Amino acid sequence: MGVTVRKWAWRRPVAALAAALLVLSALPMGTAQDGQIPLNPEVSGDIEFWHFWGSPVRRNGIRRVVAQCQAELPNITVTETFKPFGDIWTANIAAVAARSGMPDVIVADRLQLPRDAADGIYQSLGDLAAADGVEPSAFWDFTWQQTLYEGETYGLPFETDVRVLFYNKNVLAEAGLDPENPPATWEELWAAADALDVWNDDGTLARMAFFPLYGNVGADLWAMSNGHEFVVDGQPVVDDPAMAETLEWMKRWIDRYGGWAETQRFLAQYGAAPNDAFMAGGVVMKVDVAGYNSILNFYRPRAMLADGSTPNMDWGVSLPPHNGTPATWSGGFTLSIPSGAENPEAAWEFIKCAASRPGQVSWARDTYSIPSDISAARDPVLMADPAWGFFIDAMEVGVNVPFVPEYSNWIEQLNQRLESVWTDAATVEDALSSAQQEIASVIEQNR
Amino acid sequence: MAVSAPDETLEVAGSTKVKRPFSRRRFKQGLTGYLFALPWLIGFVVFTLWPMLYSLFTSFTRYNIIGDPRWIGLRNYENIIFNDPSFLRALENTFWMVIVKTPIVIVAALTIAILLNLDVPGARGFRTIVYLPNVLSGVAAIFLWQWILAPNGLFNAGLDLIGVRGPAWFTDPAWTKPGLVVMSTWWIGSQVLIYLASLKGIPKSLYEAAEIDGANGWAKTRYITLPMLSPTTFFLVVTSIIGTFQIFETAFIIAGAAGRDVALGGPGQSLLFYVFYLYNRAFGKVGAGGLQMGYASALAWILFVIILIVTLVQLWLARRWVHYETDGR
Repeated sequence: MGVTVRKWAWRRPVAALAAALLVLSALPMGTAQDGQIPLNPEVSGDIEFWHFWGSPVRRNGIRRVVAQCQAELPNITVTETFKPFGDIWTANIAAVAARSGMPDVIVADRLQLPRDAADGIYQSLGDLAAADGVEPSAFWDFTWQQTLYEGETYGLPFETDVRVLFYNKNVLAEAGLDPENPPATWEELWAAADALDVWNDDGTLARMAFFPLYGNVGADLWAMSNGHEFVVDGQPVVDDPAMAETLEWMKRWIDRYGGWAETQRFLAQYGAAPNDAFMAGGVVMKVDVAGYNSILNFYRPRAMLADGSTPNMDWGVSLPPHNGTPATWSGGFTLSIPSGAENPEAAWEFIKCAASRPGQVSWARDTYSIPSDISAARDPVLMADPAWGFFIDAMEVGVNVPFVPEYSNWIEQLNQRLESVWTDAATVEDALSSAQQEIASVIEQNR
Repeated sequence: MAVSAPDETLEVAGSTKVKRPFSRRRFKQGLTGYLFALPWLIGFVVFTLWPMLYSLFTSFTRYNIIGDPRWIGLRNYENIIFNDPSFLRALENTFWMVIVKTPIVIVAALTIAILLNLDVPGARGFRTIVYLPNVLSGVAAIFLWQWILAPNGLFNAGLDLIGVRGPAWFTDPAWTKPGLVVMSTWWIGSQVLIYLASLKGIPKSLYEAAEIDGANGWAKTRYITLPMLSPTTFFLVVTSIIGTFQIFETAFIIAGAAGRDVALGGPGQSLLFYVFYLYNRAFGKVGAGGLQMGYASALAWILFVIILIVTLVQLWLARRWVHYETDGR
């Protein structure tokens, strides 16, 4: 029996294919949909990528992003290298100065990027971004603005974060507090601590309700939540009544728990996750970045209750308690190319891929870092977690501290003096006054 | 054939100058010597002399390592001396360590050396134990001491046993430097060995003569042992002071503990020692934002001058208390 082939039947699929190709050719090169900055898969080369994400959660997360980009960019080979947080940028500077050994792509500190750009540590990505039509409005505005030096970008924002209050719902409920309404103000926080603190018979501390310096938080966030404005007319301000009131408030917490030495003694009992003071039941409420949620999910700690039971911990998140001005702030990083890197074309393709929506969503799913790409931050997969929507809402009260080119790291002058205040070696007034004077002195030197 | 060089002269005994004939053999000998020394000389010139001279040059410039240095004259020195409170804090911290740590280490090393010099059973074992910390990696030992001196660590647990509430050693600005001094007494093995060697070298005849004169144990220590050890003490004081001026890694590690920014110089800047501050200026963020190699070079040259002056003062003072067996003092 012979096989009958209908005449011209082969023409229909070919025509459909031709039409599809025609439509595709009208699109920019690569995959433009889904928030992906267009890639050029023809670019080839080996690139080295330095990051400092060594924890199990983050190392796997960044490997997933690299794997995704390897699939998108088959001619590029990415070697990801972990460098300790304390060394990564010093090692890069040394390599850039020696004009050898620098990576092709590095995770850069976004808050210091303009200063580093001014020092020539990173290459401008301005032309590359313009050529590929990178749209600044795709990113949270402050993340994009912080990448600019003299109007050009020196890195694509890769991730940001947001500081929120994590609290142990089980313990709040046990103490008779409403676990759905954690303290929202400084006053409420102080009152809640009366119900949550636990002291041993010998007068030493057994459980701390809250400590303003425990977690990923410092005097800067508390000052913002007290209405303090750090940079006015381009000049850093640390010596003003709101700042002084903030330090006095923080000192009251230290004194509440027996002074600086006693608080350090208490907190020194705990270590890193899963033995940190929050997970191990030593502290009931702490401020940390949203990424801490991924650590909690990873370790699934148990709550330690007074009756000896240890149910799975039910934790909640809310805005950091404030004194009239709800506030939080966001740090974060960019993907940048060091000056002198050998293969900037391939590096740029990798950066585009990782900083685009798919890469950022993948990273955020693993780490709970907030994508700097707004559409990625609102990705339905991420929004499926009830806590995620809260993190994104918290971004709305984020404070962007302007960059001061003459002295980018002026906050150090405040931080250097804090322990002297906590230990009564200096008064709040003296510490703030001398910090302000030295900031002015350094700015004057650098002009 | 020897060829004499007409201008080659040799100064002999006073002002008389006599011509020294050129000798090919001596020339060859000299050349051979220099050739043998050449690897070291090249290393010295490339890795020591040239960087030193270059740092002297950059101390008069604004230089961020990456770009070209820009000449600014004495401005770095002016800013350091007249406008830099962190420089003064670093000097204060460093001198505190020099003044407090040096005598404690010297006295502890001397005491242990005298005890180890006693002819008691097991002295060799004790010597080994005293020297043991010196063979451990410095960084690992510092981490160990962070644990020992933690607010609820071993040391404070020991103090608790005698009813003393120990301090928060490395987080309280008032106790960070005393904590380092406690740590440093653990590392006196080298000083003890040097003292021990010197003790062994004191002639027994001096003690025998003193005993005949009726000297007791303290008199022998006061009038024989200590004077005879004074050259060793002088050497140890000078090297210990220079070493303390250069203290860095302990402060760097402890200041960076628990994720703190090392640029803060430890709690309340209490660990901001001179070389640590210099490092921060060169590579860190403190002050005007780090990456100031010109400023850091100027700091280095100021430290060089300070150490030079302190050492010269010690040399001058040494005439009054250092006794050498050969010069009658």
